Amino acid sequence: MRQCSIENCFVPDTGCDLGHMNLSECPQWSGKLAAGAAQTESIDEVLLPWSGGALGLADLSFVSGRARPFVVGIAGSQNAGKTTLLGAWYLLLGRGAASVADRQFAGSYSIAGWEAVSGSMRWDPGQPPSFPPHTTSRGGRAPGLLHLSFWDSAERQSIDYLFADAPGEWFQKWAVNRDSDEGIGARWVADRADVFVIVADCEALSGDNMGAARNGLRLLARRLAAELRQRPVALVWTKSDIAISPEIENAVRLAVFNVMPEAVEFFVSVVPKVGESGANGTGLIELLSWILWTRRKQIMLPHPEGGSSDPLFMYGSRS
Amino acid sequence: MNTAESSILLVGESGAGKTHYGAQMLQRLMKGDGCLRMSGAATNLEPFEAALESLNEGRAAHHTPTAMYVDSVWPISDRAGRAAQLVWPEYGGEQIKAMISARRVPNAWQGRIQSATAWLLLVRLQQTRAGDDIFSRPITELRGKVSQKRDVQISDQARLIELLQMLIFVGGAQERPVDRPRLGIMLSCWDELSFDGLPAAALESRMPMLAAFVRSNWRDPMIVGLSALERPLSSAESDQQYVSRGPEEFGYVIQSDGLRTSDLTAPIQQLLNNFA
Repeated sequence: MRQCSIENCFVPDTGCDLGHMNLSECPQWSGKLAAGAAQTESIDEVLLPWSGGALGLADLSFVSGRARPFVVGIAGSQNAGKTTLLGAWYLLLGRGAASVADRQFAGSYSIAGWEAVSGSMRWDPGQPPSFPPHTTSRGGRAPGLLHLSFWDSAERQSIDYLFADAPGEWFQKWAVNRDSDEGIGARWVADRADVFVIVADCEALSGDNMGAARNGLRLLARRLAAELRQRPVALVWTKSDIAISPEIENAVRLAVFNVMPEAVEFFVSVVPKVGESGANGTGLIELLSWILWTRRKQIMLPHPEGGSSDPLFMYGSRS
Repeated sequence: MNTAESSILLVGESGAGKTHYGAQMLQRLMKGDGCLRMSGAATNLEPFEAALESLNEGRAAHHTPTAMYVDSVWPISDRAGRAAQLVWPEYGGEQIKAMISARRVPNAWQGRIQSATAWLLLVRLQQTRAGDDIFSRPITELRGKVSQKRDVQISDQARLIELLQMLIFVGGAQERPVDRPRLGIMLSCWDELSFDGLPAAALESRMPMLAAFVRSNWRDPMIVGLSALERPLSSAESDQQYVSRGPEEFGYVIQSDGLRTSDLTAPIQQLLNNFA
């Protein structure tokens, strides 16, 4: 039951939205008690402002306090391997294999969420690994967001990333109808993401429904291109250990590059390339590196040409 | 080390070796031949009484009761004669696990976290699961095998990372990398690891994500190996060499640079010296 009048405050499940470590210092909380509401929870403990699970919109204020996090949108149809991609990255980070120059893991406020998406890919006693279960499509305005923080040793600062774990059905609906109610979460991703990954599922593109898969991807690429606003995008062939026909491959490539010519391309799989040893799968670290190295487009302010060296009078003064 | 009180927040889950290290540390301080020595009488040795007795009889100490938390204040001085009060806690390690799983930090712990000069995390690597996954131990045919929902047990390094994130939040550190409180990671029961390299390399090989987290968030973390007892002791059978030579003759530390020393007070002096 909600115990605080502030909309985004979920005390006692998580900490005070206004940042008070001691709840008795929070004016909203104290006001509630003063009004005679039943005090059902003890407040002699510090509550944390993050739950450890995937973040929702209400949680974003905590992780976006120091700077707007870099949002990674992974678009693709159902069962294309989007969640597996996330789980694989987390496992590689956990094994110290995902080494990216000048970037070092610096924390996560959704560590239980990462453990949940990667848990099925681990060996447990009596349970061999498998791929993560299907991401359930629930109603909602935004996907679950998995947070990672990396330390940039060159710039000496932490950079926050949010990876959107959205169900494939959202993108399928959104590709067909931009304003579809069922695709509203995909639209959230399309509006906010700083970088996109569009997933081409080699298994689907080589199976019985390869035509439908190709067509679905073509629609998605066209929709994404219309919403892209020059943001970086990668075409990622998942399950790339499965061979697909050159015709299908070319058709998909054309469908993507015709509308997004600046896209880059990656082939990824949890299975290493034939003839290669090593235990990092294929292309996963390269794709993560590309994401971590991608930057938002920046505005370069023109060099001031004013006659004054005083910053206050530099702009607008006549030289 | 001229502060009036130097409080160490000793953090370790159950079985990490806090009690053995505390008891051996006390023996060394009283013996007085290390970097630090006891320069008076400790306020209360009760929390370590049973452990000291067990070790003197050549047996392992018993498990510390879950609910117990007692601070013992030890007046210490270093070789230069600088004096300080070292606050050394003794508690049941289950309290740490409970904090992580309940995601709540009792106010008493908040005070300890905020007032500590340094945090010392004891990690017993042998107790942690390395955990195979589809990369380290692939199976030939995964295709089509989609998992049913199963209970996910959070990995050991993820749990420790979450614990440190909780400490950083409650401690109120704003800037990165963190300068104060300084962090020390002590890899306990080093003798059972059979690892040849530096302690930092052992942490890196076993818990690479935790190692990266620590490097990213602290300016100068101290990572050392500790064998408080030097060899395994049984709680039932007595080790005769312990009885005849005394527990203070056993135990060693592998310092950050790989040098071995029998002075168990050295890492504490290194942690506290930063604030001299």
